[in-house]
Amino acid sequence: MTVFKAFLKVLLKYKGTIILYSMILIIFGAINMSTSDNNVNFEDSKPDVLIVNSDKGNKISDNLVKYISDNSNINNDLKGENEINDALFYRNINYVIYIPKGYGNDIMSGKNPEIDIKSTGDYQASLAEMILKRYIQMQNVYKMNESSEDEFIKLINNNLSKDVNIEVTSKLDTTKLFNASTYFSFASYSIMAVIIFIVCLVLSSFKEKNVNKRTIVSSMNYKKYNNGLLLASFGYSFILWVFFIILGIIMLGDIMFKSRGLVYMLNSFVFTFCCLTIALFISTLVTNKNAVNGIVNVVSLGSSFLCGAFVPAAWLPNSVLTFAHILPTYWYINSNDLLKTMEVIDFTSLQPIFINMLVVLGFSILFIILNNIVSKYKHNAI
Amino acid sequence: MKNVIEVKNLTKEYKKLKAVDDLSFEVKEGEILGLLGPNGSGKSTTINCILSLLNFQNGSIKIFGKVMKPDSYDLKRQIGVVFQEVAVFEELTVYDNVDYFCGLYISDKKTREKYVNEALELVGLLDYKKFYPKQLSGGLLRRLNIACGTSHKPKLIFLDEPTVAVDPQSRNNILEGIKKLRDNGASIVYTTHYMEEVEILCDRIIILDKGKILASGTASDLKELSDIDEKITVEIEKIDEAILNQISNLNNIDDYTFEMNILTVKYKKGKNNLGGLINFLKKNNVTYNKIFSERPTLNDVFLSLTGKGLRD
Amino acid sequence: MFWHNFKYSLKVLFKSKALIFWTFAFPILLGIFFNIAFSDIENSEKLDIIDIAIVKSDEFNKNIIFKEAFEGLSKGNDKLFDITYTNLNKAQKLLEDDKITGYLVFDDDINIVVSSSGINETILKYVVNEISSNETMINTLIKKDINNEIKKGNYNINYEKIYADAYKLVSKDTAKINNISNKNLSYTMIEYYTLIAMTCLYGGLLSMYIVNLKLANMNSVGKRTAISPIHRGKMLVSSLLASYVVQLTCLAILFIFTIFVLKVDYGNNLPLIMLLALVGSFAGLSLGVIVATLIKTNENAKTGILIAITMLGCFLSGMMGITMKYIVDTNVPLVNMINPASMITDGFYALYYYSTLDRFIFDIVSLLVFSFVIILISYFGLRRQRYDSI
Repeated sequence: MTVFKAFLKVLLKYKGTIILYSMILIIFGAINMSTSDNNVNFEDSKPDVLIVNSDKGNKISDNLVKYISDNSNINNDLKGENEINDALFYRNINYVIYIPKGYGNDIMSGKNPEIDIKSTGDYQASLAEMILKRYIQMQNVYKMNESSEDEFIKLINNNLSKDVNIEVTSKLDTTKLFNASTYFSFASYSIMAVIIFIVCLVLSSFKEKNVNKRTIVSSMNYKKYNNGLLLASFGYSFILWVFFIILGIIMLGDIMFKSRGLVYMLNSFVFTFCCLTIALFISTLVTNKNAVNGIVNVVSLGSSFLCGAFVPAAWLPNSVLTFAHILPTYWYINSNDLLKTMEVIDFTSLQPIFINMLVVLGFSILFIILNNIVSKYKHNAI
Repeated sequence: MKNVIEVKNLTKEYKKLKAVDDLSFEVKEGEILGLLGPNGSGKSTTINCILSLLNFQNGSIKIFGKVMKPDSYDLKRQIGVVFQEVAVFEELTVYDNVDYFCGLYISDKKTREKYVNEALELVGLLDYKKFYPKQLSGGLLRRLNIACGTSHKPKLIFLDEPTVAVDPQSRNNILEGIKKLRDNGASIVYTTHYMEEVEILCDRIIILDKGKILASGTASDLKELSDIDEKITVEIEKIDEAILNQISNLNNIDDYTFEMNILTVKYKKGKNNLGGLINFLKKNNVTYNKIFSERPTLNDVFLSLTGKGLRD
Repeated sequence: MFWHNFKYSLKVLFKSKALIFWTFAFPILLGIFFNIAFSDIENSEKLDIIDIAIVKSDEFNKNIIFKEAFEGLSKGNDKLFDITYTNLNKAQKLLEDDKITGYLVFDDDINIVVSSSGINETILKYVVNEISSNETMINTLIKKDINNEIKKGNYNINYEKIYADAYKLVSKDTAKINNISNKNLSYTMIEYYTLIAMTCLYGGLLSMYIVNLKLANMNSVGKRTAISPIHRGKMLVSSLLASYVVQLTCLAILFIFTIFVLKVDYGNNLPLIMLLALVGSFAGLSLGVIVATLIKTNENAKTGILIAITMLGCFLSGMMGITMKYIVDTNVPLVNMINPASMITDGFYALYYYSTLDRFIFDIVSLLVFSFVIILISYFGLRRQRYDSI
């Protein structure tokens, strides 16, 4: 109990660090949630488009604007070319369409005027371009046969009003699942950083040369003392895990109480435990507080970047992912990704996730063994 | 003799604590002044005030006859300080450390090289030039600290407990070094807890407590202040109560005790005290084995002046 | 004296392992991580080939327009689809295993089956809509042509030719689109710019460390320098110059590394890039000075504070997610106006993306104002030479 209390007291000195990492997780989670809406029915993905219409009032130009607006998210808040350029660069809009002055009249007089556009070149922009091209193409075909503006527009709109049947087989609420997986994958960074950082710092205070000497000469059983430290570290990790789970429930809502949510929790618990074993191993390896600071950042940022905590694993180069197999975070995030698209939760479908957990546990055992070897070696070296 | 330092009515208060209380004293040219006092008596605060590191509420400080201010660079050039804590760069070698601090005073490279080597020789660190502070033992580190503070051959040197936690060999080396500095013409202010150091080293001593001067003078001056003059201890196997009670009738007796076969008799001033006691014992047929006579030490003086209560 | 102190300050800084890690090794490591994470991200955001299946049926075989359209869309270098022609069961299985985006079933109508909503699904739907509206157009054109022929009294109609003409007209790409967007659109560059910003600000660790060594109330070495006969200002300037040199050395190595190994594009204006690096580093230096002088705590805590300020600044300027910078810039511009990390990042962005220099100059001026204000505030703290307690 003495050890546990002392551990807690030292721990409280580092509460700022814990708050900092939790804040990062909350902010990240909140930004992700802000785009969330429920959709089980099919919904078009709409590109973000901005239209600069210099031919306002003309029916033909207005109809083009209306059509584009129906098929994309129109962003017309931006003022000036600089704001447009910034928005384009940061992918706040994907596509900008500049309708030149006199466009409608040019069309009616049989010309094929050029339209300026700006594009981010990603798939949303490609979709926006398909939408625009389809309309222009239709205009070019119909204008050869119609002389009246109204007839012409009616013809186009008639054609465009037809919509194909689409059936969605999945009953999953993809947005929610996407949010949950993203939250838990990103949490791998927070969990890892906070646990390694704090456990190493606190233990380094206990393992400081003179404090350690004093403990060894004290009447306390050294094994008991060590077990106390281990227990305290575990208790801290457990509380932290509960805290992150509560944060998750606040942000993700009811999904956490379903069987899928339980698997997310179990998965993160196994990962938390693995982080603890890593922390214990590092704390045996180095006791210099400055060095701990550097190692924590390299280890936690490194595995997060390599395994897809920040950027979805699907977007990482294959060579990187192959390498990432030697890191526990990879298996943890892989489980989160599997949970995102899993249609039914039952024992058979969960098998790959259980295998992933076993791998993470395997890593934990490896770190425990390494820890024992190193501490024996160090003990002999005193 | 000229006064090197003149402190008049110095008062320094921290938020709740009066660390230095209306203190006045001076340091004369060429002397080693010992500042004695228990922990928290205001020794270091006084030195820091003299060095213009600390603000103080009242009083004036003159060094070499000039008022000391933070930008009195011509004065600072002639001062060397060895702080209580070891103040060196972890990242620099022994030689580089001394060279750096010397370089803050001496810009000529050749002179500096000579001075640095002399300082290292003085403290016996010539063999450790390439070592980093981390690799030095406690005693060597203290010696490096001294070299860093004195390599520029200052005329006035402050030494703030330079021998704390140092083995006897290193201490001797350090004390010898300090004497050499004085012999080369420096005036020295020396603070310590070690009475025997003060006795060997200091020309004059000031005893401070609670920011005030309790006593000052040479070592023998201070011993005069002691309420006892001689202490005689006798080893006796057996003595009757009645005989013991008669001891108080002897001349000059201040006090006596008998514990664990040791008779301790304290005398006020007077002559032939030892002879008187021996005669008394013989007369009463008391057999005794060993007998010692001691003059009071500075330690006794210090304790009797400052009291025996624990500090801090 | 000036150079004596300068020389030893350099020695002290280069020997300090923790400082060198944060200002030198850490940014390079982070750069490597960025490169790993983001090297592919922009490519994966480009439109990729979409895997779909079409359920074979008589209806499909008869629908020539669709058949030809899908054949056209699934061949060539810029093909849109990879199509598997199969039966219904297999198509369902493929969809379940996530091998295809969706499949098409042709009966009286056309049906698209997908597993969820998404961009690929939308494109698939859009293409099907487009083909069916082409079908409508072709039919309209044919009807019209036939009517015209009949009006002309020509009853010997060449249906094949009319169909071919109509088909050609509809499928010919006539839309004239002129892309006028800037070619420098690679937003992952922002990540590397924040990295440079971080390194500039981490330079504050160096200046903080070296200033601490000159403060009597922080450090015992500081006491020793405080009692030496050296003018404080001169000593501080010489020490700070040393930390600036170390900082710029680290930055230069990072630049070389990012340009030649990670292929980061900083734009073409080398003198201006160097100017920004110099000014940005100066801002970092001033940040270190103010933390050293105004916050009275131990050195570890000061290091922590400086690292926290830097990381928060970098977070707000997009290091952990590029959109963050845009969100802050558009919603609370004031925050990034006083955030030196954002000013530095924005300066590089301006050089990379903008053709005019207005924005760049604004960034440089803000950084200079920021630095001088900070230095001025610290000056009042540094001017104090006697302390109330040590």
